[in-house]
Amino acid sequence: MSRPFLTGYCLLIYAFLLAPILVVVGASFNAGAFLTFPPQGLSFRWYITFFNNEVFMRAIRTSLWVAFVTMIISGVIGTMAALFHVLHARRSKDVVRIAMLAPLLLPEVLTAISLLFFVYAIGIGTQNMVGMIIGHVLITLPFVFINVSASLESFDPSWDMAARSLGAPKLVRFRRIMLPMIKSGVIGGCLFAFIISFDIFTISFMLKGVGTSTLPIQLFDYLRTNFTPEAAAVSTVSIVLTLTVVIISEKVLGLRIHRF
Amino acid sequence: MTEVSIEKLTKSYGNARAVNAISMKIAEGEFISLLGPSGCGKTTTLKMIAGFEDVTEGAIRFDGQDVVNTPAEKRDIGMVFQNYALFPHMTVEQNLAFGLEMRKVPKPQMRERIAKVLDMVQLKGYEARYPRQLSGGQQQRVALGRALVIEPKILLLDEPLANLDAKLREEMRVFIRDLQRRVGITTVYVTHDQAEAMTMSDRVVVMFGGRIAQIGSPTDIYERPENHEVAEFVGQVNLVQAKVESVGEGTATVTSPLGDFTLPTKISVKPGNMVSLALRPEAIELSKATEGQPAATVLASYYSGALMDYRLKLDNGDELHAQTFPVNRFAEGDRVALHAPAERFWLVGVSK
Amino acid sequence: MSPGKTKGIGPYLLIAPAGLLLAVFLVLPYLNIGVMSFRVPGQGTPYGEGFTLVNYARFFADSFYIWQVVNTLWIGFLTTAICLVIGFPVAWQLTRPNMRFRGLAYGLVLSPLLVGIVIRSYGWTILLGNNGLINRTLTNMGLIDSPLPLMYNALGIIIALVHVFLPFMILPIMNGIQGIDPSLEAAARSLGASRTTAFRRIVLPLSMPGIQAGCILVFVLSLSAYVTPSLIGGLKVKTMAVTVVDALIDTFQWPFGSALALMLSVTGAVIVVIFGRMTRMKWKVA
Repeated sequence: MSRPFLTGYCLLIYAFLLAPILVVVGASFNAGAFLTFPPQGLSFRWYITFFNNEVFMRAIRTSLWVAFVTMIISGVIGTMAALFHVLHARRSKDVVRIAMLAPLLLPEVLTAISLLFFVYAIGIGTQNMVGMIIGHVLITLPFVFINVSASLESFDPSWDMAARSLGAPKLVRFRRIMLPMIKSGVIGGCLFAFIISFDIFTISFMLKGVGTSTLPIQLFDYLRTNFTPEAAAVSTVSIVLTLTVVIISEKVLGLRIHRF
Repeated sequence: MTEVSIEKLTKSYGNARAVNAISMKIAEGEFISLLGPSGCGKTTTLKMIAGFEDVTEGAIRFDGQDVVNTPAEKRDIGMVFQNYALFPHMTVEQNLAFGLEMRKVPKPQMRERIAKVLDMVQLKGYEARYPRQLSGGQQQRVALGRALVIEPKILLLDEPLANLDAKLREEMRVFIRDLQRRVGITTVYVTHDQAEAMTMSDRVVVMFGGRIAQIGSPTDIYERPENHEVAEFVGQVNLVQAKVESVGEGTATVTSPLGDFTLPTKISVKPGNMVSLALRPEAIELSKATEGQPAATVLASYYSGALMDYRLKLDNGDELHAQTFPVNRFAEGDRVALHAPAERFWLVGVSK
Repeated sequence: MSPGKTKGIGPYLLIAPAGLLLAVFLVLPYLNIGVMSFRVPGQGTPYGEGFTLVNYARFFADSFYIWQVVNTLWIGFLTTAICLVIGFPVAWQLTRPNMRFRGLAYGLVLSPLLVGIVIRSYGWTILLGNNGLINRTLTNMGLIDSPLPLMYNALGIIIALVHVFLPFMILPIMNGIQGIDPSLEAAARSLGASRTTAFRRIVLPLSMPGIQAGCILVFVLSLSAYVTPSLIGGLKVKTMAVTVVDALIDTFQWPFGSALALMLSVTGAVIVVIFGRMTRMKWKVA
């Protein structure tokens, strides 16, 4: 394949990747009552409708809350697991890795169904957000694990030995040598867990209780029956929220998030 | 100043013994090298002294006190790692300060000691740099300074020059040696490079397969190796067939294509035995062939600047390797006379 | 040698929370769903007492479900194949050393991952619908008289799924290609191979593990996709995942829904294993 041809081909693919996202953003500024093309002028009316729609506002608050709690729990558990995996696991290394990545490799829909039955079987049910948050933690755990493991893999054991030879006890070594070195991995993993959790659909859909709809669920329900550009406004706000987190992490904190 | 004594030190992994009951005494202020091929147990030994490897059996004493159960951070050692292991998120000054902070040295005193060490490793003005902003040699010196600033009981160096280029490596050898002399600290140095061990050490410990093959001064190791393995490891060796004529008190008189010699022998031989004589290439001197001198034919010659290397063929068909200064040069096919002083030969074993 | 090596149970306390979480909330639920598929269908309750094979019998007796599985697998297969064909050149270009705007291009590849799946599917409904952007534009240009059937069929589902999962194909392939020592290609060229030959004989075989990982990932993800088929397929075209979720959420047939979900998963797993064997690669987890 020649260079110009390859470049042109790739540009087409990038356009394909961006198209549906751009269309949603574009549609959100449509002044008309329906999604029509060409748009009937530019307006923010659907944003105003959205911000006055208590159902959507509650969903967005729920989503932020769930994503925050998920991030904290996943961050702590995933970091600890990564520390074990890289620093202490010997023969169990592969097993630990596969187990930690399992939620990513298993079909989310099956995990969601299994978890739904299970929370009923053990009596947690879906009256509160516990079941849903457990599901979110399961799904986001691999991302924290991957990010922290990656930063730990580049941690040179001789740094720790050097600190020992200089007389540093275990806790001091963790705080002053290990933590600064893996900080970006931990923060990156946590932020990614937040973004993933914010967008999780299937798990939330199955495990949502009364009044605990997250934003994707509310949007999905809305789209089944409505076609106004309000959904586009909701989507655009959600995209901007995610983008803000990404930009903060990559530009301001200078992090490189490992997706795989 | 600390004296280190190691007794029957052993490290096993399952049934395999990485270090097999080695014993040695390191005097106060002595510079000792552990020399051997990779996998000989030298690094494991160093790590046991440092406290990074558990000891299976045996004792390590610093000034008579067994430290086997003391964790590394309490042993008061200074260690320089092969990759320097400088903390990348700390400046040179912070790296140097770390060990002092662990010892709760007061700030003014700390600054004074850091300044002194920076002077010692010739890095004044580099305090605020991060390790990645330094060259390999500078990083090496920071690592050295970081180990020395805490004024440890002993200094341990794990192949510290392995990552430097050839020229810098030779400079650093001298630098480290001089620094060690000045500070007077007991030092254990691990290397697989025999030239490094020779130039720097008071004594060299040659290790093979987890055991000590020989301990001695560089001269001892090179000129009076206790066995063929040691001889081969620390330099090149020629082997010449010889016949035992008579045996005396710890000596044997032999005849060989290079002449007749009476040599001290540690092995028991009988008159009539065929033995091998060992000889370093640079112990041979060459001159134009004359009657009555052992002679050989030049097979090939190699010029390497400071020295000439020759491949020679004796009249009995044996080949020899000789190394001389390029004063008299000989060409392929030339006949040359061989001169080698008796004290440069040693007897390595009976051959059938 | 490990830093901070300690004896005793200390290190195990690090893995305990994750281990406990996975054991209780992943392993047990999966065992539970296996048991559930053998439960007696309930009358007014999600499931009844006792065990039975009737759920599986119902699946095999009804060609509707069999066809739905086949249909879902077919959609998954096509999605994977299209992702591979259009994803490989992009992955290839992204790993070229002299590529300009690499950061931007990489960001574009990742962008779908950062936008929720509901939003992305919604975007496609705006594009593909009968009154959508594409049909309107074509009509206005006078190229078509009636809207093209782009939505509520397998075509629409596949287009949207390809979009949703393309990054999962591109990223592993990129990882694979990046792992190839560039001097290997140079060596092949120095031995007289043309650029095409060097690519075909050296780069392609060495990037197989990445391709394989990408294919497996996309295939598994598309089998279990729920949102996209549900929004784009509407009521007309249902994939297995949609049927399963409907059986559980709307009609509360827990045992039957479990059996359906397991049949789909087992079939998918078998296909992945066969695929792994066929490509004769030891597949590594991404």
